[in-house]
Amino acid sequence: MRKLLIANRGEIAVRIVRACREMGISPVAVYSECDRAAAHVRMSDEAYAIGPSAPRESYLRIDRLIDAAAQSGADAVHPGYGFLAENADFAAAVRDAGLTFIGPTPEAIATMGSKTAARAAAIRAGVPVVPGSETALDARVSDAELVSLAASIGYPVLVKAVAGGGGRGMRTVHAPADLAAAVRAARSEAGTAFGDSTVYLERRLVRPRHIEVQLLGDLHGTVLPFVERECSIQRRHQKVVEETPSPVVSPALRARMTSAAAAVAKTVGYTNAGTIEFLLDEDGRFYFLEMNTRLQVEHPITEMVTAQDLVHWQIRIARGEPLDLDPAALLAPHGHAIECRIYAEDPDNNFLPSPGRIVSLRTPDGPGIRDDSAASAGLDVPIFYDPLISKLVAWAGSRPLAIARMRRALGEYLVTGIKTTVPFFTWLLAQPEFVEGRFHTTYLDEVLASRAGRPFVESSDEVEDVAAIAAAIHTALSAPANGSHGNGRAAAGRWKTDARLEGLR
Amino acid sequence: MHYEVEIGGRLRRIDITRSGDDFAVAIDGRTRQITATRIDAHQWSLLVSAPGKSDTPGRRVTYDVAISVDPAGALTVHVGSTPVAVIVNGRRRWGPGDKRHDGAGAGSGPQRVAAPMPGKVVRVLVAQGEVVRARQPLVVVEAMKMENELRAGRDGTVSEIHAREGVSVEAGALLIVIQ
Repeated sequence: MRKLLIANRGEIAVRIVRACREMGISPVAVYSECDRAAAHVRMSDEAYAIGPSAPRESYLRIDRLIDAAAQSGADAVHPGYGFLAENADFAAAVRDAGLTFIGPTPEAIATMGSKTAARAAAIRAGVPVVPGSETALDARVSDAELVSLAASIGYPVLVKAVAGGGGRGMRTVHAPADLAAAVRAARSEAGTAFGDSTVYLERRLVRPRHIEVQLLGDLHGTVLPFVERECSIQRRHQKVVEETPSPVVSPALRARMTSAAAAVAKTVGYTNAGTIEFLLDEDGRFYFLEMNTRLQVEHPITEMVTAQDLVHWQIRIARGEPLDLDPAALLAPHGHAIECRIYAEDPDNNFLPSPGRIVSLRTPDGPGIRDDSAASAGLDVPIFYDPLISKLVAWAGSRPLAIARMRRALGEYLVTGIKTTVPFFTWLLAQPEFVEGRFHTTYLDEVLASRAGRPFVESSDEVEDVAAIAAAIHTALSAPANGSHGNGRAAAGRWKTDARLEGLR
Repeated sequence: MHYEVEIGGRLRRIDITRSGDDFAVAIDGRTRQITATRIDAHQWSLLVSAPGKSDTPGRRVTYDVAISVDPAGALTVHVGSTPVAVIVNGRRRWGPGDKRHDGAGAGSGPQRVAAPMPGKVVRVLVAQGEVVRARQPLVVVEAMKMENELRAGRDGTVSEIHAREGVSVEAGALLIVIQ
């Protein structure tokens, strides 16, 4: 492997460029119209245009990516995450073009991409799935059968539309007496919304945590799991903070969860990097949720506590190298790592995207800090893609120290010209629930709802005084060349006048 | 020189007397000594004396400040990493090329609510002539598979509705005007 095409953009493309450089592989970038001057283009050896800015016309165009690979003479393709990373057709197209796909086989992607097939694989591996009915329940199923089924699943039970989505056709039932009515209502709603009135039952987990297990599988049948990642801090089902290890997973539970994850992966002959997601209930029982057949956004925290480079390993596995790692070391985290996903969003305006030009950028640095980013001052955060600016990672010897270090780093982070979620993280990392590790997947949505839009930035009188003074001095001294402050020339003129008047006094 | 700086609805009256990098700044009548050193076009290092009658009059506090215009055109001063929206001498909107345009903000004049990104209008939540409160959701735009509520910047009355449910909009498309 001498030349690798990166079928992605943003921070993950930069991450892969760096791995290529470290391994003596020539990185090849692709770019859409708005990404011509993006960091991943400038850091690569070669770059190829693949179309207009809209993803479906560029980063999602399999034909253009394969063409760019051929044009560059690349012998491998890394999909990153998002875009085509979990598209079996893309993995197959890369293989059919005679190139190495840095990831699992198209067959594994297809299997684990289907919720029902993935659930079946977990059951085959003897791994618990969220208890539920294995078949769809149509109108012929009697009320008595429903009650008996629900009893075997356990309350509270969710009645879900088979064709469902967006919460429609969904009911929570806490007692057998309410079941039949809820099923009728859900069927009716599902029939209207989706044209399919079949439903199924699933246990509703109360305040679960989202815990996931990173694993690597080589081409020789070895599958190795890593220490778990805690990803329960989510806003509208999107992870915003991840950490490892989880504050609630004991070594014994870790042993059970990681071997369960490895068993699921082995059942489907999984190769390369992947992640098994579990829900963990309040009683310490865990359930298979799904598998991500790619590198995860939050992979750096695992790297920080295990001293492994997951992108290097992805490439080495694809080259046929064996996983010659000590399995025990991967489950014994060194210290603690936390990641904050810094987004171009306005936390004080309901997290509305805030794309635009970055005027000034100062990234945190110093002990234990890693900033995976593709942002730079003078460039735009485009409106077309995920507005992730940076993955800020703090590592320290313990969880309290990692939190302190992250708070220190957030204080150093300066992004001007656009709004970012830095003030939100500064607030979140001071919340007692976070500091004490008492949270679950709906914690953040609940606490945000209870805040009812109260601003995250509550600056002191002193900070506001300083801001006012700075604004006045800046306005007074800024030259007209600074486009933002057109009154500069007049102000400079007034300064001279004022200075003269003072001199006369 | 005299400036009026509004932050979070509170007006501060500021008088500046300059001597090189040193400034005597009277803020609402209390004078503070400031040393301001420019880092680049947007950033300053300030050394600020303790305010008024202080136990430690010789104390000098260091602040890194950065000044920028956010996408809505408002002037923002970052004190450290804390953003503070400021209005200098009543001016609410600053823009590229310094074109003045009225719009969103907590002040007077019509508020023009525009799409911040390309997307699809999912729901219009207000009607023509409706009285709205600050922060009230006005319209929901779906982009990048996320539904985003656009809210009123201040109290007012809906005077124009350009948003239509189910219609795709470009970034910057005018959706709603509030008087």
